Amino acid sequence: MTNLLEIKELIKRIYSKQEVFILPALKFLLALVVLLSINRQLGYMGRIDRLAIVLIVSLLCSFLPIGCSILFSAMFVLMHFYALAIEVALVGFCLFLVMFLLFFRFSPKDSVVVLLTPLCFGLRIPYMMPLAMGLVGTPASAVSVGCGVVVYYLISFVSLNANSFRALDEGEATVRLRMVIDGMLNNREMMVMMAAFAFTVVVVYIIRRLSIDHSWTIAMIAGTILNVVILLMGDLMYDINISVLALLLGSVVSLALVAVLQFFVFSVDYSRTEKVQFEDDEYYYYVKAVPKMAVAVPAKTVKRINAPTGRSTHTSSAKQPIRNNMGRNSAARNSRGRGGVPRVGRQAPSRTISTQNNDSNENYEEV
Amino acid sequence: MLNEERIILMTRLAAYEAGEGKKNEAIGRYFRSDYIGVQVVKSVISASIAFVVLFALYILYDLEKLMTEIYKMDLFEFAKNILLFYAVTVVGFAVLTYVVYAYRYSKAKRSLKNYYNNLRKLASMYDKNNNY
Repeated sequence: MTNLLEIKELIKRIYSKQEVFILPALKFLLALVVLLSINRQLGYMGRIDRLAIVLIVSLLCSFLPIGCSILFSAMFVLMHFYALAIEVALVGFCLFLVMFLLFFRFSPKDSVVVLLTPLCFGLRIPYMMPLAMGLVGTPASAVSVGCGVVVYYLISFVSLNANSFRALDEGEATVRLRMVIDGMLNNREMMVMMAAFAFTVVVVYIIRRLSIDHSWTIAMIAGTILNVVILLMGDLMYDINISVLALLLGSVVSLALVAVLQFFVFSVDYSRTEKVQFEDDEYYYYVKAVPKMAVAVPAKTVKRINAPTGRSTHTSSAKQPIRNNMGRNSAARNSRGRGGVPRVGRQAPSRTISTQNNDSNENYEEV
Repeated sequence: MLNEERIILMTRLAAYEAGEGKKNEAIGRYFRSDYIGVQVVKSVISASIAFVVLFALYILYDLEKLMTEIYKMDLFEFAKNILLFYAVTVVGFAVLTYVVYAYRYSKAKRSLKNYYNNLRKLASMYDKNNNY
């Protein structure tokens, strides 16, 4: 556990120092993976189904706001739909527009879920999304997860029925349109999945807000069980042919992944390094405020304090590592440099553990 | 002479102004009724556009049936149903918007109140320093 905490602190430290590069890199990766997945699954328009185009757009997304990644992804999907059939593109456009007008205007932060949910479906771990959103989001996140499910099933339906769309003549526009709309409205699997995910988000949210010990863990496990139960019930009621093995395996893997995310991401405040400028009558201030670290990486020093007879007493010690500290006392204040930026390097309070070795009659003090 | 405490406070205030404060300041410029009113109007427009889009899709979907039955059906009744559905959608959405933005307004105001208190504290620090 201590090792995990140390890794967490290390990640936090690296993030706070390299945030300027890490965030664009993550955005680039997300856009790249999403666009490549879209091209792989749809890929009807040859002009945008090229690695160079995907790389250029991903690079653009890396320094633009996350909303642009969603916009570009939606454009890619619509262009592929258009290449297949204009009616499909029309339905897709209407769907995206309604989603934007009715929901994402309210909570633009949640809109990234629409990208991540289809991605998780592709990785066979869609059950991760309601758990994750229940933990970090609000009950309204149920709607965003639902929108993600709809987008996935739309892409999936079009991809599966591409040949049918091609087989229809140009004059049969209404038939194509009806085919897409019917395919979406009569998709019971999608409806069951949406209901299961929505319930899971709300239940996970309610449980994790309870003032009980391990509420997050209980919420994750309860959410996973509820999700599986609802999906199995849906399968029995509507005969949607969900693979029980894939469901159970996917749920267990999703639970494990969410537990890892919860430990390394959700429960950590990756406070950003703030660079601010201001002035008063006397000075211009250029301040870089670096977030403090709570746990230091320990370095063990073995000090032999009771050597056996006949040997010379030997004391060895290593340097205490430089660490940041919470510093809420006066000592911490005194250690601050000029300009209000805390100086690093104050020594941590030492932890002493004594162990006794009966055979060699040696006492060790670990500091 | 640099005053550490003052610089820490100024840094916090500057960080707030650059981040969350920017959004809250924009909200704080409005009176409560004006802010919520504007958002409700925006939502009504959004809901109307969404309704028109969905209605157009419905018409396209049922175009053949509508064309064959248009002379038989009671158009007045049809329009009444559509308008009723539209009214329910828009009113429901407007109520939801009112609740969400009333909450957001009060949250922003609380945050700004805290910010202004810190500004006052900073001003008192300067006054104290000047008196000495």
